Order: sequence, then C-alpha cells, then structure tokens
Amino acid sequence: MTETQVLDRERIRTLFDLRSSYNARAGGDFTADPYPAWRRLRESGPVHEGTVHELTGYPGTALFQGLPEPDRPHYSAFSHAALDQAYRNPEVFASSPEAVDTTTVSGVTNSMLSMGGDQHRRYRALVQPSFVPAKARWWITNWIEETVHSLIDGFAGEGRAELNVDFCAAIPVLTITGGFGIPVGQALDMREALNRPMEIVEMLRPVVAARREAPQDDLISVLVEAELKDEDGTTHRLSDAEIYSFALLLLFAGSGTTWKQMGITLTALLQRPELLAQIKDDRSKLRPAIEEALRWMPTDPMFSRFVTRDVELEGTRLPEGSVLHLCLGAANRDPARWDRPDEYDITRPMRASFAFGGGPHICLGMHVARAEISTGIGALLDRLPNLRLDPDAEPPRYIGMYERGVTEIPVVFG
Amino acid sequence: MAARVAVDRALCLGSGMCLVYAPGTFEHDDQAKAVVREPAGDPADVVETAVEACPTGALSLLPEQDGA
Repeated sequence: MTETQVLDRERIRTLFDLRSSYNARAGGDFTADPYPAWRRLRESGPVHEGTVHELTGYPGTALFQGLPEPDRPHYSAFSHAALDQAYRNPEVFASSPEAVDTTTVSGVTNSMLSMGGDQHRRYRALVQPSFVPAKARWWITNWIEETVHSLIDGFAGEGRAELNVDFCAAIPVLTITGGFGIPVGQALDMREALNRPMEIVEMLRPVVAARREAPQDDLISVLVEAELKDEDGTTHRLSDAEIYSFALLLLFAGSGTTWKQMGITLTALLQRPELLAQIKDDRSKLRPAIEEALRWMPTDPMFSRFVTRDVELEGTRLPEGSVLHLCLGAANRDPARWDRPDEYDITRPMRASFAFGGGPHICLGMHVARAEISTGIGALLDRLPNLRLDPDAEPPRYIGMYERGVTEIPVVFG
Repeated sequence: MAARVAVDRALCLGSGMCLVYAPGTFEHDDQAKAVVREPAGDPADVVETAVEACPTGALSLLPEQDGA
C-alpha cells in the first residue's frame, strides 16, 4: 500500500469540492462568470464604493480576508494602476487594522500575513530562504514528486480519472504537511481543522518538540533553528507560538490555493487539445501556460488592505479606517497592460501579474506553487497517453467568488 | 545590449520575482537577497520586465555608460 492510499477519497471530496458546504463561506456557490462584470466595473472607474462580491452581483455574504468588517466603509479597486499603487504603499494600505501580537496563537491573523513594516520584514526573512526559486528542487524531490506519482498510481490503470479532487486537491496539502514532518495519515485531519486552529496546534506540538531535540531536513526544523533579530539587535529563537502561527499561515494559504490553480490550468489546457498536444511535445511551453493561467484566472481574485489615513486613489477619496478590496482578477485583465486580455494566450510576452499579490506581502509560496503545478501536470502528460476530457461527462466549469476553481475534471486516457 | 541594474539590499525581500523573469541575470545569495550574477545574462527588455516586477521596488536600471 502506498502512502497516499491511506487518503480517504470521500473525505477528500467533502473537503475539496468547491460546492460543498465546507467551501461555501468564500462564495463557493457562485457559478456565474464574474469577468464581464469586472470589466464593466473597471471601465466605469478604477475604484468603486462597495465590496467586490456586492459590485459583482453576488447576493450572499461571502467571507474572505478583509470581510465582513461591517463597521468600516468598503471600496474596491479594479484597474492595474490602482492595484499597483496600493500594493506598493503598505504604510497607507496595510494588511491588518492593528499591530500583531506574536505571543499568542489565534490563527493566521497573528502571523506575518498581518504584520507590517519592519516586523514583517524580519519574520519573512527567516523563512524566505526556504521558499526561493533555488529551493523548488528541495520541495520537489522531498515531497512533491512522491505525492504526484503515487496519486497517479492510484488511477493510471483505470483509463479514467477525476483530476480536480483525486489529483490536484491532495498535492498541496501533502506537500505542506510533508514539509512539516506530519505523517500522510494526519494530513487530512490538519486540512479539515483549518477553521479550528488549536487542533492543528495540538498536531504540531509533538513535531516541534521533536525537532527542537533533533532537527531534520524539513521546514519545522528550519523554524526551530531560525534566529530572529529584534528591533534592538538582539537575537532569539522563535517561540512555539510563533512557529504555530507560521505553520497555520502556510497551511491556510497554501493548501487550498495551489490545488485550485492547478485545476484551472489543467482545465484551460484540456479545453484546448491542440495546445495541450504542443505542450506535451515541447515542455518549455508548460511554464508560459502556467503563468498565463495565473494571469487569466487566478484562484484568489481579491485581497484586501486597511486604509491607515485619508488618501485619494485614482480619483476616489478613501477615508482612514476603510477597507480597500483589490480585485486582482480584474486588474490582471486590464487592457492598459495586456492586449486581448480575456484571451488565454501562452505566447504573450511574460510580465508580472497580480496572481500572487504584490508589494512586500507577495505570496511567499509562489515558487513552491509553481513547482507543484508544473510537476503535477508534467507527470500527467508523461504517464497518461492521449489524455483528454471525458466526452461523456459533464464538462468542468469555473466557479467560486473569492476562491475560484473548477467543479470536476473528468478525463479519459489510453 | 545588456541593461545595467542595481539591487537595493535593504529593500530586497527575496521574493524571487526577478529570478522568474530574468533567471540569466539574477540569483539569490544565502540570505535570499537578489544579486546580479551575469549583467549580460538576459536581453535588456527582459531585465526591464524583472525590474518592473520587483514587488518592493528594490531593483533599478542604471543609465548606460558610453564605452562601458
């Protein structure tokens, strides 16, 4: 029995089907195409009053970073220029309304996701060396490749598979929990407990204690050995609370995003069989295909910033204390930056989009995410001949408001 | 012609965006700070894309010098 066979398929479905109640709170039940609405909004002004989901016409109460915050005024930005200004000015557009207390563990809100300025810089510097492009190989050989191939082993003989949940979903969570040194059998427990962070802390506690005794070649060991330089220049090791907060952030930020982005990329390619055939024959085209999918259909199309003083952004006055929602899905299709922005075109010149955000909080895990997606899709192309969408099954649909992804990816091969 | 580019180490966060767009030019040191490994490692327009992509504005193009 391979390690990933201990993963319960039905449980993976519950946790990872975007339409499940588990995922509804971020707008998983939104099934329309938001891009026409975002285009109209961007064309009628770079910044609007209201939240992105209200302005898009979503009737529910979707939750995400920066929401619901019912006592604050809300604004949303849709142009590339507006987002660029906000991302590059973190003093005015802060990622948290208040300072971060690192002595307690309450979830991701007291991780570096919410820190600002120098505090954020010092914490991020501890872990950045484990997430640079040169470290992608470390992640691939230690965790990603084994997961990818044992998942494919599970369906390679069947001639058909559902790739979104049976393949894409499990790869990131097993990569991260593998990096933590958590056994595969506990990986789904950890994912399921995302909304109950203290349970995750209890699962991490013995690992952190063990790595303090005897470090290994994994991420928790990096954290227990890291030395943080304080403002006064003294150094100290990270406390258990700081390590737990960081681990929660990684799990929270990395386990849901990458699987959906991998599913989006796979779907875009499977719906374009000629392009998929080109990529199968010339793997140098896989990278631009992944980058273009990130621009064209980022899984998280919105992040928020808290306005720290009265400011004008692209002609709109934003009061101190308001929340500015950055609709990067709209900005990534701004015709001021990209020709024919609604087209998925892997031959367009590569340039930075906001798929991984921007500014000092730009996604820490972006190179690991890219490694997971390219390793995963590359292995499918290597091992499943004549891979194509199942013509007899319901085709994949892109759904979701703040966590976008596909319904299912039914494929046949051989 | 190769572009000349400077790295502000205080601003550099080590995001790796420059290595994504101009991998022939940039690398990271062991503190995950960007350094210019090969000034002529990529065409000038590619380096400009990397400079623009830096999320913290740590990269800047230097003016061309005659005979440089």
